[in-house]
Amino acid sequence: MMHPLSFRHSSLLTRACSNGRTLSTLPASTSLSRLPPTHSPTVSKLAFFNSVTGDSSKIPSYRVLDVFGVPIEGAKVPEISKQFAWRLYEHMQLLPTLDDILCSGQRQGRIPFYATSYGEEATVIGSAAALADDDEVLSQYRETGVLLWRGFTLDSIMAQVFGNHEDSGKGRQIAVHYGSKQHHFHTISSPLATQISQAAGVGFALRRDPARRSKNVACAFFGEGAASEGDFHAGLLLAATLPSPTLFLARNNGFAISTPNSQQFYGDGISARGPGYGVDTVRVDGNDVLAVMNAVKEARRRCLEGGRAVLVEMMTYRVGHHSTSDDSYVYRERQEVEDKTKNDNPITRFRLFMESRGWWNQTDEDELAFRLRRDVIKAFKRAETVKKPDLKDMFTDVYVEEPWNIKEQREELMALLKKYGQVWEPWQNELRTLKNGGKPVN
Amino acid sequence: MLARRLRSKFPALSRRWQTTASTTAIEPPPAGGHSSSVASSQLFRITRESALRTPGISWQDEESDRNIIGGRETRKMNLYQAVRDALSIALSKDDTAVIFGEDIAFGGVFRCTMGLAEEFGRERVFNTPLTEQGIAGFGIGLASMGHTAIAEIQFADYIFPAFDQLVNEAAKFRYRSGGHFSIGGLTVRTPTMAVGHGGLYHSQSPEGFFMGASGLKVVIPRSPIQCKGLLLSAIRDPNPVIFMEPKILYRSAVEQVPIDDFSLPLSRAEILIPGSDLTLLTWGTPIYHCESALRLLNSPPPSLAPLIPPSLRNAKVELIDLRTILPWDVETVVESVRRTKRLVIVHEAGMTGGVGGEIAAEVGKRAFLRLEAPVRRITGWDVPAGLQFEKFNMPDAVRILDGIMETLSY
Repeated sequence: MMHPLSFRHSSLLTRACSNGRTLSTLPASTSLSRLPPTHSPTVSKLAFFNSVTGDSSKIPSYRVLDVFGVPIEGAKVPEISKQFAWRLYEHMQLLPTLDDILCSGQRQGRIPFYATSYGEEATVIGSAAALADDDEVLSQYRETGVLLWRGFTLDSIMAQVFGNHEDSGKGRQIAVHYGSKQHHFHTISSPLATQISQAAGVGFALRRDPARRSKNVACAFFGEGAASEGDFHAGLLLAATLPSPTLFLARNNGFAISTPNSQQFYGDGISARGPGYGVDTVRVDGNDVLAVMNAVKEARRRCLEGGRAVLVEMMTYRVGHHSTSDDSYVYRERQEVEDKTKNDNPITRFRLFMESRGWWNQTDEDELAFRLRRDVIKAFKRAETVKKPDLKDMFTDVYVEEPWNIKEQREELMALLKKYGQVWEPWQNELRTLKNGGKPVN
Repeated sequence: MLARRLRSKFPALSRRWQTTASTTAIEPPPAGGHSSSVASSQLFRITRESALRTPGISWQDEESDRNIIGGRETRKMNLYQAVRDALSIALSKDDTAVIFGEDIAFGGVFRCTMGLAEEFGRERVFNTPLTEQGIAGFGIGLASMGHTAIAEIQFADYIFPAFDQLVNEAAKFRYRSGGHFSIGGLTVRTPTMAVGHGGLYHSQSPEGFFMGASGLKVVIPRSPIQCKGLLLSAIRDPNPVIFMEPKILYRSAVEQVPIDDFSLPLSRAEILIPGSDLTLLTWGTPIYHCESALRLLNSPPPSLAPLIPPSLRNAKVELIDLRTILPWDVETVVESVRRTKRLVIVHEAGMTGGVGGEIAAEVGKRAFLRLEAPVRRITGWDVPAGLQFEKFNMPDAVRILDGIMETLSY
């Protein structure tokens, strides 16, 4: 049994008044004074409301461990084995190890682009651990940890980042735009929030499929910035109303590129919006991996049981830059980042917890660091030698069948390559990097 | 002298020096390297004299009937600095002008708005929440009240959530109200076209999608001087304008740009290189690939010489920059094609539904009997812009060269 999480329902709104007087203390109305279409009671006092909590306080964040890894008063620590704790911790360290190497790989010009997950390890690994491996995940671009948890190999990661011919996406997208049918991880796209409304549809498919109904949920991840897009409204609304078993996991990491929360919204974060759609909502300390796991587990249970949207807002901090195309010290103080990393570190917090249980020591730490780094570097170096995809993959998968215009364009390029590909050096050089390079595209 | 008088009249212009000057310091090269066509182009006006003689410049001084260029100053600027310069002038001279969009305040992801929030304040240069439909709607509302609303969509690939507002509202605003309501003060700026490593969602050229939205204007500059003059015209044009800036040119296109307030005309194409044997029409980044193609044609390197018939090497190709895509300058294009009798159109966007089709149809109608070859379109393929295939997707100098030769020998 878990410590009760405070999920907010829409009924709270009817108890919130700006003058403190609650509507529920009024005498019961007769059916004649209930107004359609919502059949809400009528009152004579004109009172505006603007609070989800009922007393204008901020929605609280659910937490299990404090920043030192010590369970807070009243917390119910989930019963996990040492083995499971190791699995959580290892993945929370694998993420930044991967980020370190790929980030410096970009700075060295070996890959053109990358986006890190620094600071959000607990948010991503904790949620991943709470989902079923075959729950359908639609992510934004900072949830690589979910894929890692599900067993997506380092070689697959590198193939996509390098865009070589081993990439299941055929080198078509920029780095970190992973996809894996096998891991129920829908291919990422750059436009923000498009996945949120799509998730409502994915959920509906699960509901309609007798084999998966009441077994799986659809799960959309997004940042607090993406939640400003119209697709957020559409996704929540549809999954709440139709309804469909869709989990909405918002990573509130403080920034959308340079835009801080104060310029992104005026209300109380993303959680405050949930009751607007009538969905169960919880806010959680995103840097506490056990709290995230507990919260998402319960959210998933409610989602399956009710067949309806559930919203979880995970409060965390984007330690890294938005991407390798960004220098965040232009718009925030380096000191702020260093302080956060030191004072509220999700990885440190969980390590201290494990140490307090006697599950971890410095030797384990050193061995893990060595092994992870070795494995990532090995995969990186190997992927660098693999050629880019076959040029024919520029033209495939647009439609299932090939219409006349694409056929003719493919043939036109083939003719051009035949004519110039052996004599024009820039083309020669480029063709050499491609699988089957230099040979005509057939 | 004139510039100094202007600066004392408009102290804000002096301050503009400071915000833009600090960033003309040595810049690291862009991540993908400079495009070789851009790097070797002769089309940039890199001297003060040539910059001040840019054809079509209209100085926006108080005494605008005088075309004095003596005493005017220029400064070395790249494309994003030219954008910033234009925006600074717009805000200095028009109290209703505001600039808004995602990440605008700290300077923008391409530095186009650097220093402007500091100079004009956060009331006039500000971040919006992350919502393109909201940005467009907000801008339309603001402009409907007679204000000058300069919106930024962070990448042209993300303009689609704003499409409903732009096509259904902005384009039809004046028409549907019988001319009583209008939003001429709306300008939407957005980075466009391929950048070398952008993939599907940082490389698109969506100008074709807007061709059906009568009521909108679409403008695409090729260089810093063009950008500043066309942007100022766009901002001041009494119709809503979408201004698409080729992002690969932000750092790599550098010119001496006149520091004064000037405009360049909308809906007027520009003949960059006069010719008589074929008209080569394009806009934005492909201008420079076209220039390279002409160089390859006229003096081919040994590797290509066997493939370029000597009879074609003396061909004089007329290179035209369309500049305004909608409404486009049919007169200049058709006049040129009547002389040369052959037309090749180049654009990065895919063939189907691209602007080239519209132009080809109209030229075919007006110059049918003059044409000695079908209008040829050299474009991106009808596929999304896959990252690893970009070099063979976007038209480059050799593809353009081949298309020119094919059309010349039809």
